[in-house]
Amino acid sequence: MKKLLFIVLALVLAGCASVKKVESGNHVVGERLSLNIQGMWNHLDFPGIKPAEVWTMEGVTVDEFLIYSGIRDGQAMHPETAASGQAKSFVFRSAMQSEEIVSMFEGVLTRDGSSFKLLKLEPYAFGGKKGYRFEYERNRKVDNVQLRGVGFGAVDRGELFAMLYHAPRLTFFPRHKDRVEAIAKSVVIQ
Amino acid sequence: MNRRRLLFAGAAGCLGAFACRGWGQESLNYAAPQRFAKPDIASDEGGLWAMMDREEKNLRRSPLVLRDAKLKAYVQDVACRLGGAHCPDIRVHLVRTPLFNASMAPNGMMQVWTGLLLRMENEAQLAAVLGHEIGHYLQRHSVDRLRDMKAKSAFGQFLGLFGVVGAVGQLAVLASAFAYGRDHEREADRIGAVLMHQAGYDIAESARVWSNLLDETKARDGKGPELFNPLFATHPAPPERRETLSQYAEAMPGGDPGRETYAENTERFLDDWLQDEVKRGQYAESLVLLSRLIAAGKAPALVQFHRGEVYRLRGEGGDLDLALTDYRSAASAANPPAPAFRGIGLIARQRGQKAEALESFSRYLELAPEAPDSAFIKTYMSELNS
Repeated sequence: MKKLLFIVLALVLAGCASVKKVESGNHVVGERLSLNIQGMWNHLDFPGIKPAEVWTMEGVTVDEFLIYSGIRDGQAMHPETAASGQAKSFVFRSAMQSEEIVSMFEGVLTRDGSSFKLLKLEPYAFGGKKGYRFEYERNRKVDNVQLRGVGFGAVDRGELFAMLYHAPRLTFFPRHKDRVEAIAKSVVIQ
Repeated sequence: MNRRRLLFAGAAGCLGAFACRGWGQESLNYAAPQRFAKPDIASDEGGLWAMMDREEKNLRRSPLVLRDAKLKAYVQDVACRLGGAHCPDIRVHLVRTPLFNASMAPNGMMQVWTGLLLRMENEAQLAAVLGHEIGHYLQRHSVDRLRDMKAKSAFGQFLGLFGVVGAVGQLAVLASAFAYGRDHEREADRIGAVLMHQAGYDIAESARVWSNLLDETKARDGKGPELFNPLFATHPAPPERRETLSQYAEAMPGGDPGRETYAENTERFLDDWLQDEVKRGQYAESLVLLSRLIAAGKAPALVQFHRGEVYRLRGEGGDLDLALTDYRSAASAANPPAPAFRGIGLIARQRGQKAEALESFSRYLELAPEAPDSAFIKTYMSELNS
């Protein structure tokens, strides 16, 4: 997170990064995922941040809403930066089973040395497709903050669509959880 | 000519014998310094202590700290056996991170990561790593390095004023800083070996630690860590380290590996640590580690299940068959890990083997009705039944 913050700060100063308001209403992320939000979010954007679109309600040091839209077979699930060093790359394969995709997200969220515990994995119709919903705990290594998170996903025509939201477990996660659940319900995969 | 050769050989032999005797006497006698008093806050060492005190305060609050009093007391006890009179100043903190690491700060804060605990086969191996870290602490290497880096940083900046020639000079300064680090590591290895011997541990186990680590890192990229970038390696190359430690073991033989005590104190955490290891996604490294643990007879059913998970998640070539073999072996144990049945079920489902998938899933849910993925597995079962 410190590295991300540093990168963001450097890019903002260089004029390469932007934080845009996302207003209430319908939005399209990527080419095939549309969703509806009630209340404003902040969309963080800078070169190399992909493949996820990163939104935040309280600021990236507090909460993160990651939206993956149309991830293709063989695509890495995280930004490939020099700071990644020799950390393992996690790549999506279209033949992956749902539980393998959740294991892949576990790997992505522990790449920085954070810990992850799966609390629940259940079937879920995401964007009208057969998918899954999972809940987790994450202890973020960089600042020792205990987070709670919820994720949703489905694979359609070989492409992965998913959403992950995590925030500090005592105040921020309960504050925004229902909002995130409502967004997940509104998702349509075209 | 023959006489000359004979004289030369004789002289070389005498020098060699002298050198060997000198190595034995000089290197293997070590007396630890007196306990350290807290340095003046205005000094560079005092500043370093203050920084480490702040780090320790943060660490105490970290959710990643493993708060198990019994395990902590056990590791603290091993550190105390090695640290002797310095025991009251050494404070062990266990950190749940699946990597091989331990460190000791000049203020006495010692961090031991669970990835290291998973990799140790016995208490003597743990003592080898802790003894090495205590060696750094007793010789106050971090303070030396701080001063060295400060001096070199000023000199390096000065060299930077001279263009390309200066840049080459900066590189040389950087290289010498890391060579300085390697000398510290060698000294810490030597002191660690002496402390191990004094505490009654078998030093031969310390060479095995590096040998095992070398096998893992080679599996990752087909080459050892010393080949990644020799210029920036702060530690001696593992083969050199392994050889030197083997020589210390020959010079100071005997001691106890402490295999049973180590297993008694760590076995109940094995499942958690293995789960963390699998999540790293470094499948080649994990396979070397888990195969070694199985060969050593460490909780075979549990380790076999986790090796099966690694094969299933990697999913290359014949991995699913290898996973199935491991799952089946784990499932046939007297006290089988429940998720081994889930593993069999998932592979059987993928292969369209309906009856085996249903039977395995139902056994899994029978053994672990509250499993986090139980709702998901039930859906698979409904689909298979329909």
